[in-house]
Amino acid sequence: MTNKTRYFVIISLLVLGVGLGTGLVAYYVGFPAGAQGRRGGQADLAFVPRDATVIAFANVQEIMSSELRQKMRRALPMPENGQKELENLTGINIETDIDSVVACMHPEAKSTSIPGAGMVLARGRFAEVKIEALMREHGAHVEDYSGKRLIVVDTKDFAAGDIDVHPTTNKNTTFALSFIEPGLVAIGSTTLLKSAIDLHKAGNNPQAGLESVTGNDELMNLVRSLDNANAWAVGRFDALSPQAHLPDNVLSQIPAIAWFAISGHVNGGIRGTLRAEARDEASANNLRDVVRGFLALAKLGAGAKPELQAMMQSLELGGAGKTVSLSFAVPAEVFDVIGAVAGKNKPGSP
Amino acid sequence: MSQPTRSAATPGMLSSAMRIFDLSLGQMLWSRRSVFLGVLLGGPVAIAIVLRVFDTLHAAGFKVNGAVVGGSSIFGMMIWLLFIRFIVPVLGVFYGTSLIADEVDDKTITYLFTRPIPRSAVLVGKYLAYLACTVLLVLPSVMLMFFLVAPTGGGSIGAAFPSLLADLGMLAVGLAAYGAVFALVGTRLKRPLVVGLVFAFGWEPAVLLFPGYLRRLTIAYYMQALVTHEMPQDSAVSMLLQIFHEVPSLWTSLLCLAGIIAVSLWLAGRAVEQREYVLEQ
Repeated sequence: MTNKTRYFVIISLLVLGVGLGTGLVAYYVGFPAGAQGRRGGQADLAFVPRDATVIAFANVQEIMSSELRQKMRRALPMPENGQKELENLTGINIETDIDSVVACMHPEAKSTSIPGAGMVLARGRFAEVKIEALMREHGAHVEDYSGKRLIVVDTKDFAAGDIDVHPTTNKNTTFALSFIEPGLVAIGSTTLLKSAIDLHKAGNNPQAGLESVTGNDELMNLVRSLDNANAWAVGRFDALSPQAHLPDNVLSQIPAIAWFAISGHVNGGIRGTLRAEARDEASANNLRDVVRGFLALAKLGAGAKPELQAMMQSLELGGAGKTVSLSFAVPAEVFDVIGAVAGKNKPGSP
Repeated sequence: MSQPTRSAATPGMLSSAMRIFDLSLGQMLWSRRSVFLGVLLGGPVAIAIVLRVFDTLHAAGFKVNGAVVGGSSIFGMMIWLLFIRFIVPVLGVFYGTSLIADEVDDKTITYLFTRPIPRSAVLVGKYLAYLACTVLLVLPSVMLMFFLVAPTGGGSIGAAFPSLLADLGMLAVGLAAYGAVFALVGTRLKRPLVVGLVFAFGWEPAVLLFPGYLRRLTIAYYMQALVTHEMPQDSAVSMLLQIFHEVPSLWTSLLCLAGIIAVSLWLAGRAVEQREYVLEQ
């Protein structure tokens, strides 16, 4: 072998080696960081119990300041009663005070609602004294748990009062609010809040039966796989399917899905990915076939509507092995069309 | 003084093949054909650079039909359209068919066949040199393309890395399979290049369009199972391919491709051993 050939082989192998090494580092360390790493979502996942069935994250600041949100506000001026009511009750202005939100659902033996209890961890700027005073006015009482103040509300008190409670909610459960650390408020089931406080105080301790969702590799692998998203949800499919209220014959046709992940990036439009982890490769292939059929039908249906064609063209089925993914992009033009239709249907419009 | 035995004088199949490999790798790399190979593989890298520059200059990202497309999707599209459908079969045809045919055309085959080595070792050594040459050029080109394209459109290198590994493996297996089949064509037929081009760009795409068992007589059918990216829907032909998209399981594909490589090389080796090459004056 001549020197020239030898150098070529060495350079070629070097390119391959450096590339594979960098890729491996990116895969394991998360370079460039995934959605959860960049936006502080992962830090708050450390307070979510390991056996949560669904976890979700939203970068509220990015979404609220996105072009799409501004466009939607102009096109569909919605009453802001809900936001105002929340601000009056708690002093929290969603647009300016909350930076990001992590939410989780958890199977709770006591809860009759499916998929169980929930908790929201919101990061931002909060008037702690005002919030506590307002909640006490509504019948809440304060408890101490591991040195943190828990503002606890009995659901039955709320149900009797002027605040709506979901009919499936167990009337004997309590929900609470606590400022776990400056700028981080946890709202939700009292049991979950206590777990979050324990995790905040002691950290992960699997030997003592205390572990956060960051130790759940199956779930976290899905979280890590999410691309540049400012909102995402990951969870067990059996936790979601009862909420969808699908007819039994439709549910029986859906191939066995173990996990699902939804991620989206909201800016000018919405770009996102739906991902499902089937129980085995055969189920994944079945699911791919089902989705492929739906896509073909949708593309045929959208043929006559040019404004929807860009969205339809963006639908891309992918994934390998047990993973099935469907990526999509809803361009800003689609929201212009929605705005125009909504404008026409407004009372008083010509 | 004892006479050296024939077995001691004649090197074995493997060592002979490695000597031919050593000799042929340099010849293949620095031949005129390598210019063609360089252009062929430089194209995707150049496209990737353009896409990267475009993505850097336009914050809105790269759009196809008005929709923003992620880097991993573009990379998958490039793997399908440029490598699986074009570059891998073309390299197989041009290099595979010429393994023995070039020596015959240059009238240098006699120098190799008069050496005390098995004739089939010449073919195996040249096949290994082809594989090393193409793999060492194609895989770094794909690697560069991946790092340029994957982070565009909000994509993540880490998330797309497993699919890159699958792609590299798939391309290496594809080059090996196409190379072996066209090496057989090169040793058996008179006009191997024409036959090879007809097979790669006539028979394979045509047969894949129709349902039935004929598609099993193609390499592309088995390679499709190794591709992790969804087939792009860039034309009516692609739509048809999607409709009749029937993919064997991963292990079936790997076994079939291994079988194709082994059988093709064995038949090509037998042809080289038995055929009388008449050099035109």
